[in-house]
Amino acid sequence: MMSIESVMFNATVAVRHGRAATPCGARGLSLLALAAALLFSPAPARSQALTQADVKLVIGGESIKKSSKGTLSIAGNSLKFVGGKGTLEVQASSILDVSTDEDSRQDITGAAKLATMAIPYGGGRFLSLFSHGVDVLTLEFTDVKGGYHAVIFELPAQRQGAPFKKQLVAMGAKASVPLAEPAATKSEKKP
Amino acid sequence: MKRHTRYVVPVAFLAYLLMAGSLLGQSSAAKPSASSIEIKPMDSGELPIPPAFRAAIYENLIVEIKKTGKFEQVYRSGDKDAANLPNLVTLRMVAQSFKKGSQKKREVTTVSGSTSISLKVQISDRAGKMLVDQDVVGKVRFFGENLRATYDFSKKVAKIVQTAF
Repeated sequence: MMSIESVMFNATVAVRHGRAATPCGARGLSLLALAAALLFSPAPARSQALTQADVKLVIGGESIKKSSKGTLSIAGNSLKFVGGKGTLEVQASSILDVSTDEDSRQDITGAAKLATMAIPYGGGRFLSLFSHGVDVLTLEFTDVKGGYHAVIFELPAQRQGAPFKKQLVAMGAKASVPLAEPAATKSEKKP
Repeated sequence: MKRHTRYVVPVAFLAYLLMAGSLLGQSSAAKPSASSIEIKPMDSGELPIPPAFRAAIYENLIVEIKKTGKFEQVYRSGDKDAANLPNLVTLRMVAQSFKKGSQKKREVTTVSGSTSISLKVQISDRAGKMLVDQDVVGKVRFFGENLRATYDFSKKVAKIVQTAF
């Protein structure tokens, strides 16, 4: 937001310069073009703040107790969980795999998907650790000594893990299952 | 003759105690010892085991193995500190079978919908000698989240470690 405001300020300055003197017109126009380019260019992933309250750290929090509730956020280049009298910070570059429940749904495709969907009680759709009203974010990462770790977060509603995964992957985290397409674009009908 | 029979029972009992004692001594001497253990993540092979299950099994296992108190150090896979330890054993898990269950189905029927994970658990020493090679099944029946299957599994593995070392 800050960058957009500063660009708009530059643009108005450019217009004023253009009106004051005609030799400055070309300069003003180039500034305008630059401002427009900056305005429509995508913002870097690092600047986007992502925070989710009421997240449960299921397991893997080391000093943080199992099933502690807290806030999950992306701060700088890492994923941060604050809650249960402690903080867990995982550098995006140290993440070996990041996945959500949505990935498990994606794994089953085609005829197998139809067949599994026929199983009653929702049991066939996909296998989750928890009930179907939540999303699960799983990270596998290494510590400074190279030791393997895994951590599981339970997010309060479905599809809440995807934005975290997307941002972590943009910051250098690895993911064995590629990012899912947004549901809205999938269901969009072509004219 | 009567005098001799009087001593038969106590002598036999003493002999039994001595035999049992020597057998116990033998079994405890045969137990391998190691000061530290390194736990490798599960090799799921071709089985579609969700990452959350793999993660939960690993982290539960770390906790349960630490609880046994059999090792001075429990190392995570890849830890540089474990690289040159001479008295280190390595625990590996290979997925054998995986049966999808459903929490909802369990809640409705209470008799079906169980989730089960069967893994081959192997513990070997630095020289590659196999110390433990067993199939372990983790299950969740009736009520409860699928997470409990991973907990059940790690409890069983910890029990194996407890008796083997």
